[in-house]
Amino acid sequence: MAISFEHVTYTYQAGTPMASTALTDISFTVPDHGYLAIIGHTGSGKSTLIQELNALLKPTSGTVHVDDFTITPKTTNDDLKPLRQHVGMVFQFPESQLFEETIRKDIAFGPQNFGMSETDANHLADEMLTTVGLDSSYAERSPFELSGGQMRRVAIAGVLAMQPQVLVLDEPTAGLDPRGREEMMALFERLHREQGLTIVLVTHQMEDVAQYAEQVAVMRQGRLVKFGTPQEVFQDPDWLRANQLDVPRAARFAQALAAKGVQWDQLPLTADQLADQLAARWPQRGSADV
Amino acid sequence: MANIIEVAHLSYRYRNGEADVDQRPALNDVSFTVQAGEWLAIVGHNGSGKSTLAKSLDGLLPFSEGTITVGGIKLTPATVWQVREKIGMIFQNPDNQFVGATVEDDVAFGLENRQIARADMVPRVQAAIEEVGMTEFAHREPSSLSGGQKQRVALAGIVAIAPDILILDEATSMLDPQGRRDMLELVRQLRADQHLTVISITHDIDEAANADRVLVIDDGRLVEEAAPATIFAQGERLVRLGLDLPFTSKLQAALRQRGITPPDGYLTTAEMEAWLWQSLSNT
Repeated sequence: MAISFEHVTYTYQAGTPMASTALTDISFTVPDHGYLAIIGHTGSGKSTLIQELNALLKPTSGTVHVDDFTITPKTTNDDLKPLRQHVGMVFQFPESQLFEETIRKDIAFGPQNFGMSETDANHLADEMLTTVGLDSSYAERSPFELSGGQMRRVAIAGVLAMQPQVLVLDEPTAGLDPRGREEMMALFERLHREQGLTIVLVTHQMEDVAQYAEQVAVMRQGRLVKFGTPQEVFQDPDWLRANQLDVPRAARFAQALAAKGVQWDQLPLTADQLADQLAARWPQRGSADV
Repeated sequence: MANIIEVAHLSYRYRNGEADVDQRPALNDVSFTVQAGEWLAIVGHNGSGKSTLAKSLDGLLPFSEGTITVGGIKLTPATVWQVREKIGMIFQNPDNQFVGATVEDDVAFGLENRQIARADMVPRVQAAIEEVGMTEFAHREPSSLSGGQKQRVALAGIVAIAPDILILDEATSMLDPQGRRDMLELVRQLRADQHLTVISITHDIDEAANADRVLVIDDGRLVEEAAPATIFAQGERLVRLGLDLPFTSKLQAALRQRGITPPDGYLTTAEMEAWLWQSLSNT
C-alpha cells in the first residue's frame, strides 16, 4: 500500500477559540503505484488533505501512512527530511517559486539541499530537464525568460530532481492552454507508467480524472463523501451535480442518449470509450460499407 | 451597426532593454473591427499574442505601428484616459486586481478615481454589487472569497463604472467549472442589461462558443476570423493552433477511426445526439 489514511481529522488552530475543522475522519487507501484524483468544490478540504501527505500538516487525530513512513499527531519535525524527499509536492503555480539565475541551478537546488554534491546535482538537473521535455540548451538560461508553461516544467523538474516516489499535484494544469495541459498530463502519466510513481492529483478537470485516474476521492466540507473508481464515482450524475461537480463530457453525452433509450453496458467516460460502445451496437456495421 | 473598435495594421515588439528588441513581433500587422454590442472571442495558444492584443486595446502597451480607434477616438498617449473610460478589463488572476479592504471599497475604487460624489457613489456601488449577486459579501475582505466570487467582485467594479466595452483576459481560466459557467452566465446577463460589447480572450472552447464571432491569433498574426461553428469545424487545425476540440469533433474523429462515418463539419451536442439516436434506431 502506497498511502493509507486512518480516521484522519485535522483542525486548524486546535485548542483555540479560532479552531476550525478542515478534515473529519478521513479513511482510504491507495495501492502501490496508484493514481488517485481528489475532486471537490473550492474549500472542500482537498488542499488540506494533500498537505497531510508529507506532514506539512500533521493529523490532529488519526494516522497517515505513506509507504514506510507513518505520520501521527505525535510526529515531530526532527525526522521529516526523508519523508519530504519521498513525497514530491507540486503546488499551484509552482513557477512562482523559481528563484535561481539559471535553470540548471534552480533544478539542482533541492538535491543539493538534501546533501548531493554540486556535480551530481547538476547532472541530475540536466536529466530532469529532458524528462520534462525541455532540451539541455535551456540549462544555462534564466528561468525568467521562459513562457509560463515552460517555467512550470522547470519547477516540476525541480521537484522530480528530489527523486520522489509519490508525486502530489495541486491543479498542475491551471492556466495552461489545451496543448500545454495535454503535454503536462502525458508527462505525469509517463512518470506513473514508466517509473512507477504514485500520483495524487487535485483537479477540477473531470476529463483528466476520466482519462488518467485509477481511484477518485470526492471531498465535501472536509469529509470524504465518495471513494471509488472513476466509473463508480461518475455513475450518479444527479449526485455529482448536487455536489457542484462536473461529469466528463462523454458521460454527460452518454447520459443524454440513455434518456432517449440507449442502454450502456458501462457508462463511457471518454470519447474513445463512447465510440467503442457505439461501434459495438452500430446497426449496419460490417455489412453496408464493404 | 457602428464599429466601436477599429484596429488597423497593429504591430508590437517587446523590448528587454534599450537596444534589445525581441526579433519576433508579438503582434504582426493585425487588423479587425468590433461592432457595438458584439461578443467577440479572441483565441490562440499561450504566447500567441492574444493578451498583448487585449492590453494594446486598453493602451497598456505602447504599440509603435498601426492605429487603434475606440468609440471614434484614436488611441494616443494624449487620449489614453478617454479610451480607458470606455473599457473595463478583467484579468486572469483575481488576486492581482484587488485594491480595497472590503468588497464595497473595491467596487468603489473605480468611481473614486473618476471623482464621483459620495452621494452618487453609494447607491451605484450597492447596485453593482447586487447586480453580480454579492450583496451578502459587501463587507467581506476580498481575500476571503473564492476565485469565482472574486471575479464577480471584479465584474461589479466594472458594472459600477458602466463602460461600453468589457474585455475578459482569460478571466475564467482559473475558475472551477461551476465558477466558469456562473461567470459566463453573468457576463451574458450584463451584456444584455447594459448593452456591453464583450471581447473575451480565451482558450476555453465553451467560452468561445458564446461569441458571435471568433478571431484566431497565431504567432502574432490574425489567421482566421469567423463564426464559432465555422472555426470549430476545422478539427485538427484547432489542435495545431493550440486549441481544444469541441467534444462532438472528438467523438466524430473517434467514430471515423472505428469505421463509422458521421456527417462532416461542426455539429452541436444536440445535432450529434440526434444523428446518433437516429442511426442507432435505424435497424
